Amino acid sequence: MTEYFEEPDLSGNRGFQSLREGFYKALFFSFAAATVLTTIGIFLTLFVDALGFFRSYSLVAFLTGLDWSPSLEPVSFGVLPLVFGTLTVTFTAAVIAIPVGTLTAVYLSEYAAARTRAVLKPLLEILAGVPTVVYGFFALVYVTPVIDFFFPGVSTFNVLSASLMVGIMTIPMVSSISEDAMSAVPDSLRQAGYGMGATKYEVTTDIIVPAATSGIVSSYILAISRAIGETMIVTVAMGMQASIPAVKTADVFGLGIPFVHPGEVFLGSGQTMTAAMVQIANSDLAGGTIAYESLFAIGLTLFAITLLMNIVSNVISERYREEY
Amino acid sequence: MSEHNPDTAFAGVSRLRGRIFGSLAKAASWLGVVVLAWLLFMVVVDAFGLTAASTDWYLGALVGFGAPLATYSAYLYWKRPDLRWIAVRATVIPPAGLIFAGAIFVLFLVFEPFFWFLYYTIAVLPAVAVYGHFATRDDTRAPLAAGFVGVVGLVIGYFVEPLILIMPLPWIMLVWVLVVPAGALIAYRQAPEDRQQQVTILGTGVAGGVLASYLGPALIGVTPDTAVILYAATLLPVAWYNGAVLANDRSAWPGLLGPVVALGAIGGGIVLGGLVGTTGPEPVLDWQFLTSAPSTLPANAGLFPAIVGSVFIIAIVAIVSFVVGVGAAIYLEEYAPQTGVGGTITRIIRVNIANLAGVPSVVYGLLGLGLFVNLIGMGLGIVLVAGLTLSLLILPIVIISAQEAIRSVPEEVREASYGMGATRWQTIREVVLPRAVPGVLTGTILALSRAIGETAPLLMIGAATTVFRPPTGFASQVSAMPLQVFYWSFHQKSAFRELIAPAGVVTLLVVMLSMNVLAIYLRNRYEQQA
Repeated sequence: MTEYFEEPDLSGNRGFQSLREGFYKALFFSFAAATVLTTIGIFLTLFVDALGFFRSYSLVAFLTGLDWSPSLEPVSFGVLPLVFGTLTVTFTAAVIAIPVGTLTAVYLSEYAAARTRAVLKPLLEILAGVPTVVYGFFALVYVTPVIDFFFPGVSTFNVLSASLMVGIMTIPMVSSISEDAMSAVPDSLRQAGYGMGATKYEVTTDIIVPAATSGIVSSYILAISRAIGETMIVTVAMGMQASIPAVKTADVFGLGIPFVHPGEVFLGSGQTMTAAMVQIANSDLAGGTIAYESLFAIGLTLFAITLLMNIVSNVISERYREEY
Repeated sequence: MSEHNPDTAFAGVSRLRGRIFGSLAKAASWLGVVVLAWLLFMVVVDAFGLTAASTDWYLGALVGFGAPLATYSAYLYWKRPDLRWIAVRATVIPPAGLIFAGAIFVLFLVFEPFFWFLYYTIAVLPAVAVYGHFATRDDTRAPLAAGFVGVVGLVIGYFVEPLILIMPLPWIMLVWVLVVPAGALIAYRQAPEDRQQQVTILGTGVAGGVLASYLGPALIGVTPDTAVILYAATLLPVAWYNGAVLANDRSAWPGLLGPVVALGAIGGGIVLGGLVGTTGPEPVLDWQFLTSAPSTLPANAGLFPAIVGSVFIIAIVAIVSFVVGVGAAIYLEEYAPQTGVGGTITRIIRVNIANLAGVPSVVYGLLGLGLFVNLIGMGLGIVLVAGLTLSLLILPIVIISAQEAIRSVPEEVREASYGMGATRWQTIREVVLPRAVPGVLTGTILALSRAIGETAPLLMIGAATTVFRPPTGFASQVSAMPLQVFYWSFHQKSAFRELIAPAGVVTLLVVMLSMNVLAIYLRNRYEQQA
């Protein structure tokens, strides 16, 4: 150093440095913006091809038709049998996952010792992480024989085994989000409850669960939305027959009471919207045909339903969250 | 009752109801886990043909397997509890090294050894040298200079590559590309100061690599290239760890016997089972299964092309989703404006990411089909399309977990960095990212373990469920492990459904579970440090 004193640079002009700062900001913004482009991309892809489908097939017939046969002449694209299949699976899965998942969350958040929790939580994560095609394989090869033991004559591909597996798969989804909501309830509320002489059961059911309701409900909606979008389990284990069971009439004291035989719903094969998409994508249909375009019509329906449920779930957890 | 009796006033407090509820909650928590355990048990039994073995075989195998393991564990437990973790690590390193060697092997299937040799020599090596030169002088231009040299090297390599006609033998190139840098790393880590010792370690390491290329073919019948890969990925780390442990504490040698005992136990189990038992198990999942192509005959069927396909796809997904995901998370946590028009855009991006995480995977498949195949015109069911589609699928998960990791870095360290006059990018690179890396890695690995099992999107983009040759580049037709399992689950021959498919399922689950274990291990280590 020859010069001891140097004029300090107070111009604020950092030249190359500010250029670099700007570059990184723009780069990272473009990455974040790419996610919005993904959504737009999904919507446009589905919409354009679905539009092509609805140009040659009426929207009303698609939404109200009772017959789905995309490849057999005469073709028919009534989506209701697929919606029925999806609803059956989703409902059954929810009947399993919601109570079991909620109880699991209660146990993990209120009852379990720290050691138990340290073992159980990773195990539940693994339960959520098993590939769905593996669950489908389990349903087909291991669960169906068990069902056959109780209900002889169940078909190889049946709704029940697939629904049970979807239910098992969605348990961790309910439990992890619900547990987060329950753990977020401040300890002062628990202590207040115990101070009033409440038992652990009363604290749990009367204080914790009501305080965590928004998180619990949004976990239910997310789990249901996941069950609706579940593809591989139902493709592997449920078969490829889109059908709505016949409504029979039971003669009870001269009154005709309509009913649907549960065996026909659960022990036979069925098809969901997602499974129908896989079937069409894997058949030899060329691009541009009406059956191929129907793929995107179902995809759009599915996307709309799940998006709506996700938004509702977010709104519930944001709007009705109890702030402490 | 109008009369207030203190004895019955507490009758309303019943412990029964609470007990029933508590037990119910406990039972419910274990329900899913127990069902999964049952299913895993069944599939493992099928994959290894365990029902074929007789009871006496099990007894023999149990003794042969259990005796050495129990003796060793008891010795460690009572005599040398301080060596517990050394034994565990020493036992884990060799199999982990073998898996790593497999990954390198696949990488050298994609690109010729010469490709690596050339670009390593004229791009990577000069760049590292320049970086080191600047970094040792605390010059902040180090990454810039290194990047410049690297790019120049890549450009030169691109033009020079077709001109080179004579190239060294593959194993020599592998020694240069793999063994020398690995040896240098070990030498530097083991003896940061002692130049003499560094040279000794590097020299020994390289000499071992040359020796391996001669001994490998002679002893275990592999090609010299494979021998060098095995040496660099397995033997070198084992030697490093054992050497480091012994150098630190010479009396720790019993801890290093872990892998020998494990190997002896497996061997002892098989030998003793075979001696005592009348019939042994008939495993489907064996070396032949992992290294053969699918076949129309159950006995010859294998998973090899699908395994390689999965590795290819995951490689793309890992790079794309990590770079884009972490970048987007950095923007949202460090740059994004919170108010005004910019704030609105930020909010839209946030809500959008949350919603994308809930879109069914099959819909992403349609996006891949419509965007990459139909619009851009890439081929149906090729590696690149599969990788990009799955990248989009796990991107929201990676972003959300990376955001959490970045958010957990305390605000004070940022303020301190700004106070020192650092710019935003300098703060992110030097202060925020190093602290967030373990969390980011955990989230990314978990997301990748989800990607490796995804099937529906791959079916939608037209990936074949069965291919007979592993992919050779990013434009070749690809299958993946879950697709192959899907195909076998439906096979009309029952042998495929009941024997071959379980073997595929177990392979897939082992890969997925090891990724999960790695992520959980990283997270626990990180939580302990924090």
